[in-house]
Amino acid sequence: MTYADRLTRRQDSGPDRKFGDDEGPSKPDVKKPGGPNELFKRMKRVDPDQAKKYRQRSGQ
Amino acid sequence: MRPVLAGLDTEYGFSVAGRGPQDQIDDAKALIGSYPGECLSFWDQRFESPRNDLRGFKVESLSVDPQDAHFDHGRSHGTIDEVRSDRVLTNGARLYNDHGHPEFATPETWSVHETVLHDRAGDRAILAAALAYEEETGREVRVYKNNTDFHGASYGTHESYLVPRSVAVESLVKGLMPLLIARQVLTGAGKVGAEGSRWCDFQISQRADFFTVPLSVDTLYRRPVFNTRDEPHADPAKWMRLHVICGESNMVSTATLLKLALVKIALHLVERGDAPQWNVADPVRSFMQVSRDVDGEGRITLEGASWTTARQVIESYLDSFERLQADSEDCLHTELADAAKTARRLLAARFERPDEFKRSVDWAAKRDVLLQYAESEGKKLRDPSMQSIDLEYHRIDKGEGLFHALVQMGAVDAEPAEDMVDKRTRQICEDTRARARSIAVTKFRDSLATASWGSLTFGDKTVLLRPDATYPATLDDCTTVEEFIMQLERCQ
Repeated sequence: MTYADRLTRRQDSGPDRKFGDDEGPSKPDVKKPGGPNELFKRMKRVDPDQAKKYRQRSGQ
Repeated sequence: MRPVLAGLDTEYGFSVAGRGPQDQIDDAKALIGSYPGECLSFWDQRFESPRNDLRGFKVESLSVDPQDAHFDHGRSHGTIDEVRSDRVLTNGARLYNDHGHPEFATPETWSVHETVLHDRAGDRAILAAALAYEEETGREVRVYKNNTDFHGASYGTHESYLVPRSVAVESLVKGLMPLLIARQVLTGAGKVGAEGSRWCDFQISQRADFFTVPLSVDTLYRRPVFNTRDEPHADPAKWMRLHVICGESNMVSTATLLKLALVKIALHLVERGDAPQWNVADPVRSFMQVSRDVDGEGRITLEGASWTTARQVIESYLDSFERLQADSEDCLHTELADAAKTARRLLAARFERPDEFKRSVDWAAKRDVLLQYAESEGKKLRDPSMQSIDLEYHRIDKGEGLFHALVQMGAVDAEPAEDMVDKRTRQICEDTRARARSIAVTKFRDSLATASWGSLTFGDKTVLLRPDATYPATLDDCTTVEEFIMQLERCQ
């Protein structure tokens, strides 16, 4: 997937309403490996050493 | 009540395949230079004054991180203009390289909802620049909206609030400090681990480890909880700018909004002399204590061997504000009243209804995901891979970032509608001076020599832009630059 794909892919947009007025809490379920859980899929793609390699300069 | 002009600046973290922090200034310059949208490529540096202190003095120099000085040893990055690589966008925003980080500074807004929308437009601008840079260089770029690299380097998300010079600096410090320490329970971004201090598995704030003094003009090193930089970007005889550096990057829009609204509420109270009186004994220590009290109420030690909690502090501001609100018919503050209700609801929900709390609060949303992942993988929070999961929560790429997965799953508050953000990528919807900047860049860019927060220069003619003036939409009807300048001068 290129950056262009990521930028142009339409995401599910939230309704036009005030932030924070959602109702009905739901719990992210990350315990379904292989299931239709986008969060879990993305977590599995994370390089476990990513933070170890991530070095930045100090900003303000 | 006086509307408060405000803006939000974000320094993004980023990684470029095959490159390191020694290359970061050059890479940030190139990334900003790749921005593909319409823009003006100048910024008027004459009005910058980061060494002036609100307490009435000017420091000789600002502290710098010795590690960064090591990276720069023997390297030249060009002139200040080349290093900054400034871009003024058609929505009035500023995009530039700040100390090796691509930074997006929103245009000035009255409404906190508008600031949030422009903050999201900033994510789009940075992603567009990253895409263009990636295509030009063939190097993969990842962009993160966070505030730490987990190795001791922090970078900021700063808020700016215009405040009348008539407000006493002592009142500002005393009235704001308790809130700045306490608000992290609603606005902290959350962090796995600690940097430069005693280890903890998880804490509420990404920035708490980096504050070493209560007050200071410094921002890069030896950072303060309350920054005293005196750089108003307006007539200094009339205005000062509250430059808040102890906040952090929020992914949940509700948290971004609360971060701004709570400070505006406190400013109203300070200006009226109604701010709650909390005598915090040690602001630096208290900030860290609240950050580390993930399962507690966040004790804040007061002078005189007393203490309070983060929740009590925030609620004291909400109580005072709601008393004012009862006397006010000013509809401009409806959004602050709504924000106050949201803050009160979330404070009550933190321990009683945690599922509700974590929909709106970054640190709680992130921690919950981390804990469930740790359980499913048989790992502990102190496992090094957990910091990688933390980092990826903040990735702004909607197809990869973990926060954006939560949005798509409906597990956190809905983000602003795409079309609302789209509109802010092109223009400003309020009558602030950013509208003048936006129109100048969009319609009269060929005549525009340079620009800053408080000025536009056409040829040798500089027009100063009062921050409290009204800039009507009819400015956009001007057909010549001469007419535009004349209309701008009438606004002042």
